[in-house]
Amino acid sequence: MAEIKWEREFSAALERAKAAKKPIYLDFWFEG
Amino acid sequence: MNTGPYSSEEVKKYIEEQFIPVKSECFWDKRTDLMKRFAVKWTPTLLVLDAEGGEHHRVVGYVPNDDFLAHLELGLGKIAFDRDRYAEARDHFQAVVDRHPEAGATPEAVFLHGVAGYWKTHDAKSLRRIYDTLSARYPQSEWARRSKPYAQVPL
Repeated sequence: MAEIKWEREFSAALERAKAAKKPIYLDFWFEG
Repeated sequence: MNTGPYSSEEVKKYIEEQFIPVKSECFWDKRTDLMKRFAVKWTPTLLVLDAEGGEHHRVVGYVPNDDFLAHLELGLGKIAFDRDRYAEARDHFQAVVDRHPEAGATPEAVFLHGVAGYWKTHDAKSLRRIYDTLSARYPQSEWARRSKPYAQVPL
């Protein structure tokens, strides 16, 4: 299966979420 | 980058189907606006948000795949619960119990399933069933202790 299509900009994700009426999964990560 | 659960086909499929997925990199020496907005203090921090950006569920720290999927489903249930959509919430909480019976998030799902049942029906037996289920299946969980007052509710 293809990889997850991650959104990198939160504002863009909000627009997509509102349009699609879908919740958001937000992963805060750190390149340690 | 933390790839962790994202190597699982089941996890990838679930996230793509249920959510708009967002990754945000953290910088401890110069905290981002998004880190400040959600008060992120450690990674991984995983949030389930509604479509308006409101937070409904948070996981801090590593979780294995089964726990991770349980948390995502629990988060969907909490979005519905917080918006008084109790039947929908109960479906999500029941799915956590049925699909992830051993996950760390499951006792909370049992608890909220019963509370959503109470708000839907105003039948206190729903609260007693929380106690019965948690004390029988998850007696060591914090949620079993939280449900102890409901032991007094007659069936």
